[in-house]
Amino acid sequence: MGQYAYVCSMERGVEKIRVLVANRPRLMREVVLATISDQPDIEVMGEITDDTDIGQVVEQSKPDFVIIALDHMDQRPALCDDLLARHPEMKILALAPERNSSVFFWSVMNIRSARVESSEAGILGALRGKTQLADAVASVRFQ
Amino acid sequence: MSDAAVAAVFLLAQNRLLREALAKILGKKTDIAVVGSCVFSSQALDEVTKVAPDVLVMDSFGGGSVELGFLHEVKSQVPELKIVLIGMDPSEQLFLQAVREGVLGYVLEDASALEVVSTVRSVANGEAICPPKLCATLFHYVARQKSSVPNFRVRLNLGLTNREQQLVLLIGRGLTNKEIASQLQLAEQTVRNHVHRMLRKVGAHDRFAVVEMCRMQGLPI
Repeated sequence: MGQYAYVCSMERGVEKIRVLVANRPRLMREVVLATISDQPDIEVMGEITDDTDIGQVVEQSKPDFVIIALDHMDQRPALCDDLLARHPEMKILALAPERNSSVFFWSVMNIRSARVESSEAGILGALRGKTQLADAVASVRFQ
Repeated sequence: MSDAAVAAVFLLAQNRLLREALAKILGKKTDIAVVGSCVFSSQALDEVTKVAPDVLVMDSFGGGSVELGFLHEVKSQVPELKIVLIGMDPSEQLFLQAVREGVLGYVLEDASALEVVSTVRSVANGEAICPPKLCATLFHYVARQKSSVPNFRVRLNLGLTNREQQLVLLIGRGLTNKEIASQLQLAEQTVRNHVHRMLRKVGAHDRFAVVEMCRMQGLPI
């Protein structure tokens, strides 16, 4: 499966995928919550309305995934670097509200990324590790 | 509404996740039926007119701008269509432009999904919904119109249109082009063009001469 391994749980078959939702604007955050909250294999750890709290909440809740906002498609959010440096086992999904693409970030020695479709199938596929990352990695360039 | 109890809603949004999730959220309401959804494209107008929904919900994430041209087109083809804009910028100018195009619901980007549902419901029931601050903008705008009733003599003798007379009143109060533009929700260049045209029409050399000529014709400046 691509170049990362899940710490979570679906592979162990018992635990749920733990997701922290921290994207903006509010409507998009609620849209994400509506998409994932009724999935039996996903546990929403909470939602964050202010990015400044995110480090602390991640520290406490230890999510498998954090969903954040992506303001520029060609620029990796600084938040992503900070979080993955401190929690290399975690994955980040960054959503651009006005686009049909989102970007999935994870860390294996350095930060990798892949583009994911902003749709229910795309988001759930990424959270469940079903995204075909090997082909997608080269398609995204970040500063 | 096409049915006494159920509002037919069409979703027009660039982001597929937003379309899918809003369809899911709205679809759970017994008084709302999502009858279609699509992305902005050259076919969007056909898609909406073909379905002829009661309410069109359009998003505008990414700068808050919206396809005003599209609004104009869709309203001219389906005049009874009720339009709700979501994810909007709090810009007064954009809001007033949207109102002019016949929008009945204006939801800002920091609104909740619940607010979107409640706006769709209210608009479907014949109400208009906007944030309180923009409602004040609308009130102020309408109030300003009262002080600018056109003068027939000014129109007849000087050939100035209603809009030009509006400008003369504001010039008479000492407002700059920029201030006039802001008050009338126009571009500064548009105001400059109006002023230039007025000077030419009445043969005046400066803007205050136009004010004086209008005052002599009875414009209450």
